[in-house]
Amino acid sequence: MAARKTERLMNLIFLLLASTKFLTKAQIRESIADYRDATSDQAFDRMFERDKEELRELGITVEVGSHDPLFGDNEGYRIPRDTAELDDIELTREEAAVVGLATQVWQHSGLASGSSNALMKLKSIGVDVDTTALRMAEPRLSTAEPAFDAVWDAATRRVPITFDYARPGRESGRRRLQPWGILSWRDRWYVVGHDLDREDTRVFRVSRISGDVETDGEPGSYEIPEDTDLREVAGALFPPPREEPAVLRIRAGRGQSLRRAAEDVTRLDDTTDRVIIRFGSIWELSAEIASYGADVLVESPAELRDHVIEHLQLAAAGTLMAVEA
Amino acid sequence: MSKSQAQVLRMLAMVPYLQSNDGIPVHELARELGVPAKQVRDDLFLLMMTGTGEFGGDLIDVDVTALEDEGVIHLRDAEFMARPLRVTAQEGAALVVALRTLRASSGPGEEAIIDSTLAKIEAALGESAQTPVDVVLDDVDPAIHRTIVQGLTEGRRVALVYATASRDEQTERRVDPRRVFTERGRLYLEAWCLKAEDLRFFRLDRVLSAELTDESVEDHEAESRDLSDGVFTVGSDTPYALVELHPSALWMTEYYPVELIEADERGIWTAKLFGADPGWLRRLVIRSAGSVAVLEPEDLRHDVTEAARAALAAYDGSDVPSKE
Repeated sequence: MAARKTERLMNLIFLLLASTKFLTKAQIRESIADYRDATSDQAFDRMFERDKEELRELGITVEVGSHDPLFGDNEGYRIPRDTAELDDIELTREEAAVVGLATQVWQHSGLASGSSNALMKLKSIGVDVDTTALRMAEPRLSTAEPAFDAVWDAATRRVPITFDYARPGRESGRRRLQPWGILSWRDRWYVVGHDLDREDTRVFRVSRISGDVETDGEPGSYEIPEDTDLREVAGALFPPPREEPAVLRIRAGRGQSLRRAAEDVTRLDDTTDRVIIRFGSIWELSAEIASYGADVLVESPAELRDHVIEHLQLAAAGTLMAVEA
Repeated sequence: MSKSQAQVLRMLAMVPYLQSNDGIPVHELARELGVPAKQVRDDLFLLMMTGTGEFGGDLIDVDVTALEDEGVIHLRDAEFMARPLRVTAQEGAALVVALRTLRASSGPGEEAIIDSTLAKIEAALGESAQTPVDVVLDDVDPAIHRTIVQGLTEGRRVALVYATASRDEQTERRVDPRRVFTERGRLYLEAWCLKAEDLRFFRLDRVLSAELTDESVEDHEAESRDLSDGVFTVGSDTPYALVELHPSALWMTEYYPVELIEADERGIWTAKLFGADPGWLRRLVIRSAGSVAVLEPEDLRHDVTEAARAALAAYDGSDVPSKE
């Protein structure tokens, strides 16, 4: 019956939009088949209320009012054109092309159609979109996480949620969260918010949410602290800033990932370069250096050198670390 | 959002658009909406059941003959909705986040145009543009990014020095850029490589230098690879190493192509670690020393220990004088 309902909603929108006057319930009921066919006044009322609620969810506001102040109880409904219709927007040819390219970003059916609809509306009011006017990167956003839709919905409408969450290899636990926002990093989605049980801000990886995400309150039922910067809250996700200097000896033409970050490269002889880089995490850098074997050696600092030697000893042993009981 | 709500939003966007684009082919509208042509037809037949008062016969009309015979759309009696409704909160959020993603992947010189577009769209959308969604991409050397985008827009051949991760070497290549795109949140260039005589992918953060040449790009008959499954895909013939995985290293399953087989009573997993290149596998295993230990193949096991021993010998042999 989905088509039947779509038809009814469309007729309701068109009727209320085309009318310059407030239409009474009786007039509305007379104009739409499903309402006419309702078996009782109560059945019609219920259907009409539900439909109005759906229009509200779709972002279409039905105005309630009366043209006759003396008979205020005989209220009517309309969708006022001046606030319902899209205003003009002036975009240059290049800006219009940017909007066109933006609609190719989403690899997600719902959000892809959302941005396509928006583009179509802009084209309808005369925005001329020629995406060939501009060549730029074609980024894609994928949303493979099963919980994505529910988390997106909760974060954009400020709805508290609960869900089961587990790191790989760990038991899952129930979490209660007021989502502040979501963030994509290396094509993975994270939700940032206030964890109600830990009473602190937390970042959750959406792919680690298992089962259904349940809503735990009304939309807009909490405030997001002002000046919340999602990137800052989720700072632990990103590589730490490179500050400490390290001096390395790298065999000519080797150690590519380290050379890319190099601050300075000096040729020592035919086979060796001295490379200065800055690093944020000694653990990450020592693992990276060790992975190149004898092609990359540490001159300084001594602490980094010790880390690398320890790492190499583990690799040479070819065995795992002990498992803590 | 329910199917019926999505259909309502789509049809509302269609009605004014079809009036300002009279005679548009069904397949073109389908492409713009990103839905199958059959869905467009279903929408049109449903639209004919709607209007400002179906009781009075004031219904939208579609020229069914033109639709069936020529596959084009003529909409009539919809003048009451010549102008689209406001962009809804959901549509606006989808568009704004897409624009932010373009911004994150843009190079120097492109930012200004995206910023001005975002500002205008956000102003038009009002509150619904305040979507708490952020998209972060890895930083790429701005000068290299600029050169590559310039090669792409001006149709000029680019000379690259590229670092391959698998063999840990630098190669010089002349390439004809075809497109720049993101995969797994990183920027890639797809280009015709004159050396390989084929299309190749280049990760922008692995480009060591890029220079525009005076040559124009040429047309090359080659299909862009379908990346819907990603750049690296594991197939039945993908080589793998059999490894032991420490319980604290299970996060690796989310970042590398790993297939867990079984765990013993200590929580140590036996797993397949996929990788076509032995050099890449060796480096990954050394990087993860203590968390990953190779069971098979013997060659890889040997390579790992030998590489580590050689490095340790270099430190012992004091040919790296400490500067402290």
